[in-house]
Amino acid sequence: MRILAILLSLSFSLTISAQDYGFGKVSKEELQEKFNPLDSSANATYLYKNRRTYFVYRQEEGFSLVTDVQERIKIYNQEGFDKATKAILLYDYAGDSEKISGFKAYTYNLIDGKVEEDKLKNDGIFKTKYNEYYEQTKFTMPNIKEGSVIEYKYSIESPFYWNVDEFVFQHDIPVKKLEAYFEAPEYFNFKSNTKGFLSVVPKNETKNDKITFNYKERNTSMGGGTTFSSSDLDFVKYVSSYDLSNIPALKEEPYVNNIDNYRSAVKYELSYTKFPQAPLKYFSTTWEDVVKTIYESPNFGGELDKTGYYDDEVDALIASVSDPLSRTGLIFNFVKSQVKWNGYNGKYTNDGVRKAFKDHVGNVAEINLMLTSMLRYAGLNAYPVLVSTRDNGIPLFPTRDGYNYVITYVKFPQGGMLLDATNKFSMPNVLPFRALNWQGRIITEHGNSELIDLYPKIDSKDQITMMVDLHENGDIEGGFRSIKTNHDAMLFRQRYDDVDQADFLEKLENKYDGLEVSEFKVVNTDELSKPIMESYKLFEESQADIIGNKIYFSPLFHLKTTVNPFKLEKREFPVDFGYPSSSVYRVSVNLPEGYQVETLPEPKIIALPDDLGSFKYIIASQKTSIQLTVEYKINQAIILPFYYETLKEYFKQLIEKENEQIVLTKTL
Amino acid sequence: MNIKNTFSILLLFLSLAVFSQDSLYLTSTIPEDLKKNANTVIRLHDIDISLNSSSDMSIKERRIVTVLNKEGNDNVDAYVHYDNNVKIVALEALVFNKFGALIKKVRKKDFRDVSAVDGGTLYSDSRVKYLEYTPISYPYTIEFNCEINTENTAFIESFSPIDDYFVSVENSNYNINFPSDIVIRTKEKNLNGATITKEELPNKIGYTAKNLIAIKPEEYSPSLIDVAPRVLVSSNKFTLEGVQTEVTDWADFGKWMYNDLLKDTYDLPASTIAHIQNLVKDETDDIAKAKKIYEYVQDKTRYISVQVGIGGWKPFNASEVDKLGYGDCKALTNYTLSLLKAAGIKSNYTVVYAGSSQRSLETDFTAMQGNHVILNIPTEKDTIWLECTNQQIPFGFIGDFTDDRDVLVVTPEGGKIEHTKKYTANENVQYIKGRYTVSNEGNIEVKVSETSKGIQYDNKFFLDGKTERDLDTYYKKRWRYINGMSITDLHITNDKSAVEFIEDISFKATNYTKKAGNRMLLSINALNRNLSIPDHYKDRKLPLKINRGFKDIDEVEVRLPQDYKVEFLPKGVAIENKFGSYKTELITKDDKTLVYKREFKVNEGDFPKEDYEAFRDFYKEVSKHDNAKVALIKT
Repeated sequence: MRILAILLSLSFSLTISAQDYGFGKVSKEELQEKFNPLDSSANATYLYKNRRTYFVYRQEEGFSLVTDVQERIKIYNQEGFDKATKAILLYDYAGDSEKISGFKAYTYNLIDGKVEEDKLKNDGIFKTKYNEYYEQTKFTMPNIKEGSVIEYKYSIESPFYWNVDEFVFQHDIPVKKLEAYFEAPEYFNFKSNTKGFLSVVPKNETKNDKITFNYKERNTSMGGGTTFSSSDLDFVKYVSSYDLSNIPALKEEPYVNNIDNYRSAVKYELSYTKFPQAPLKYFSTTWEDVVKTIYESPNFGGELDKTGYYDDEVDALIASVSDPLSRTGLIFNFVKSQVKWNGYNGKYTNDGVRKAFKDHVGNVAEINLMLTSMLRYAGLNAYPVLVSTRDNGIPLFPTRDGYNYVITYVKFPQGGMLLDATNKFSMPNVLPFRALNWQGRIITEHGNSELIDLYPKIDSKDQITMMVDLHENGDIEGGFRSIKTNHDAMLFRQRYDDVDQADFLEKLENKYDGLEVSEFKVVNTDELSKPIMESYKLFEESQADIIGNKIYFSPLFHLKTTVNPFKLEKREFPVDFGYPSSSVYRVSVNLPEGYQVETLPEPKIIALPDDLGSFKYIIASQKTSIQLTVEYKINQAIILPFYYETLKEYFKQLIEKENEQIVLTKTL
Repeated sequence: MNIKNTFSILLLFLSLAVFSQDSLYLTSTIPEDLKKNANTVIRLHDIDISLNSSSDMSIKERRIVTVLNKEGNDNVDAYVHYDNNVKIVALEALVFNKFGALIKKVRKKDFRDVSAVDGGTLYSDSRVKYLEYTPISYPYTIEFNCEINTENTAFIESFSPIDDYFVSVENSNYNINFPSDIVIRTKEKNLNGATITKEELPNKIGYTAKNLIAIKPEEYSPSLIDVAPRVLVSSNKFTLEGVQTEVTDWADFGKWMYNDLLKDTYDLPASTIAHIQNLVKDETDDIAKAKKIYEYVQDKTRYISVQVGIGGWKPFNASEVDKLGYGDCKALTNYTLSLLKAAGIKSNYTVVYAGSSQRSLETDFTAMQGNHVILNIPTEKDTIWLECTNQQIPFGFIGDFTDDRDVLVVTPEGGKIEHTKKYTANENVQYIKGRYTVSNEGNIEVKVSETSKGIQYDNKFFLDGKTERDLDTYYKKRWRYINGMSITDLHITNDKSAVEFIEDISFKATNYTKKAGNRMLLSINALNRNLSIPDHYKDRKLPLKINRGFKDIDEVEVRLPQDYKVEFLPKGVAIENKFGSYKTELITKDDKTLVYKREFKVNEGDFPKEDYEAFRDFYKEVSKHDNAKVALIKT
């Protein structure tokens, strides 16, 4: 029993010594490790990651935010070498800047059984003025080999205390051990928001601290001299700490909206400040506060109230029209034609609506706040809608940064309408893809808000009709027509916009290796309210196999799907189709003379569970022709990973059906 | 002619000039043929270079560009690079609408100013100021005016009126003024057929181009640099980051590089020299020694680019690389050279244009050229070329990055032009040896072994070290026409000494065959189908160029399903033409076993544009026969 206890304590202390996370305490075991035992595919691994963020008080400058970082990384192979280079961006704005200090970095290698260390010298650290807002510090570690361990630490002091960088827990490589620590004095109230699939629970506690103020007073009476004195201010600090181990790597998958939505992280956002002898100052804490803060910003609400810069134009525009729907359409098109998007997102205006209108260029807020304002001016119930773009992720918690884009909502007795005037081809309720991300938040009167689903309620439709003559040598010849609505139409218009038609045709022909197109026509390119119609005559060689006296072909010809978009064996994240859609392909084939149908595929219906989507294949033959109707439906923009296996199988069966052959035999 | 007359004539010229200048901002004055295939029209481009001395050059640029559509925004090119040795004297941009009215003026301080470090570089002192402009409508016109001054005269901007595809040129003028003690060399390229005139005076050379139509990119064509008109310009005396020199030929040039940039960088510490000598002490053959040293370098170093001042042209010292374990192409090449030297092996620093398009140095034009450095080891048999920035590439293999092109080899005795290794079609081989079984349900089970060499090795060796997940994705993409595929076994062998890449794969797929009633159609070529046909052009403009040839040799045994028998077998095919050859054969081994043989070879070469359609037809034929089907019928 005693021996066992000794053994136990021995092994315990061994474990401890193998995991010393003190700076510079890199062990032989860490250097000897050939691969990560929990994820052998990892090219590198964070052995240890530590970040502490806390406030310090300096008498002259007040509070600032300090972040200490220490990271230890194991590099297993050459693919992991890029982890030996790191860039740190430091914000620099209006004379205030973030500063880096206490930088130390070493590379450790095991050479002939001995641990050798190389210090990163100053000549390996490079500072650059990255652009007008950022200073960049970039470094790469010396003597990196397969098996190296690198370790570095540094501190960043920031005057921008309201802006605490997200604590990111999950990376593209695994993390063995992670410690994070956030501490704020009672004067700053922070709200934390956690996202990702990992369960991350902090340990919360309070601590006492004090600030010592030193005073220096010149005595004017009693013959001069200086008196020194000091006083203490006691306060409470709130502390959250995290202790995580074995965090898996986050891996990219196709058809994911934005992988960051699933990355494990916690964000601290300042909700209010309460300094002694000062009133509460709110930043945000609930959706109401977020909305209020945004709404009350001069670059948002203030911009909405300005009307003087456009009133003459808008008066003239709507003078003869009183119907609210027509007025909306006129103003929507007016803004689209007058102000072009400069490529910048934003819920706040940058140069202001007035300047944007004058210069005909603006960011998202300038364009859509102007649109909202004009619609209101014309007597409509128009409201701004806060949106988070796909790149920005899904706002799960009340944060100001959660939204980075704004669009317009107009309320009609018969229902609502979402508008975004930053895209030439966007239509009512058909938003550009970037803005099509879950839900937006309408800011109604008095700064109240409510959620609104951004995904379209009506399917995008694509109706294709193709009529071809099949020749005895396997060539086909005929006509093609497609009618597209909503997002399908928008995407087509974007692709077709401003292109050289000859070039567009060449691309179309080359997409289907050897298709020949003539009499190409597109109708309704600019009449957005109508579906876009594309039609052409086509000719294509060898679309059937002639084998003996039989002809084999699959009746969708070049329109058939050949590649399953879902190839991964398993999937962690939802599949994002962007918008619900339905397509109908109607194909009729005139058979070559002297041939008759010997075999026809069976009709088939495949349905996804829970009405997520369906596929229908209906085929019939007459004496000299074949009629085929294929219907595809995806009823929901987002399909959860729970359905992945089914979805993959659905596509597999769909492809198989589309590729089934019709057999014709010679009758003479 | 009296003064008064001259004056009035001048006046006349002046007013004409004013008229034509104004019209440059008007979109309606663009000639029709310049709009064809163009996204951007360069209305006027003036480059005036004053080479005041071999260490003082100023460049004045005025560029008026009309952008016809959104694709053309990238060709406004209103930016200027600068660093410690390049001063921007003046910079502005003016924006005009399609009617020629000035709508915006952008001053120097309103240009965006950012670090010009690209992703692959750790640090560079180079910066760029660029115009950020959102067009309100198309077309629009931008006038860009810029003047810079520099001490560096090693690179003199060339006259290249067309610098991109889809760009046409109305007027482009180039002038260089230089003092009498400097000799300016020029080299004209692809000027045939273009309306370009030259003016040469004792202290001035000028070129003018008018009405150059836009070039559209086409598949299998020479790169733009080999078709667009260009005049290269250099000075016999020049300064590079403070280093001055005078050269007349490559021998001189090489001597200068060796003496001023390289010679003092071979400073290995004694301990490293001893280590290397010890490393190779058991090898008797120089090549074997070199291989050991090369592998030592691959193991010790990695590629990191740092470019500051003369460091853009002069390698880091070998001792630095030895200490840090990283460097750029110059540093790593030079380090390898130093180590080889320590083992008594002579090798040479070699300047090259890297990239898959086999760009050669302009061998009859002595000037700073190239964008990469490799190492050359002369041996009795043939030359060994080493790529020193890649940790995985086999010894002596350079792949398509630096193969088959003219390069500058720098020796202590001077520079000389040599040609790097060319990989011929017969060297770029892929062998497939496989077997697959078809079940009654139409499923297949496949076992295949592929061996790749030459450039085909180059295309694949990156797979070595990839994760299982990445490989799974790769193979499913390669055989994307096989639906429902799942890999059961996978083994990769990267034989670096033989430069062979071997892939052993087993996989299953469901419903591989197409069913129709009681028949089954079997696409016999399951493992190596040509999947892309070169693009079709209604009016091919550029000559046909096949950069590299290759040869695929396949032999696959096919076991037929139990309950089916052959109803129809496709016939073998044999095609041979100047572009290559294609041959298939289908042998019935027994009534349940077929053997499919295929050989597809494409030759490298240059052909006139008239040959393009025939070349495309060749690929079309190949694709068609690669889809040949066996008809099986139920017994």
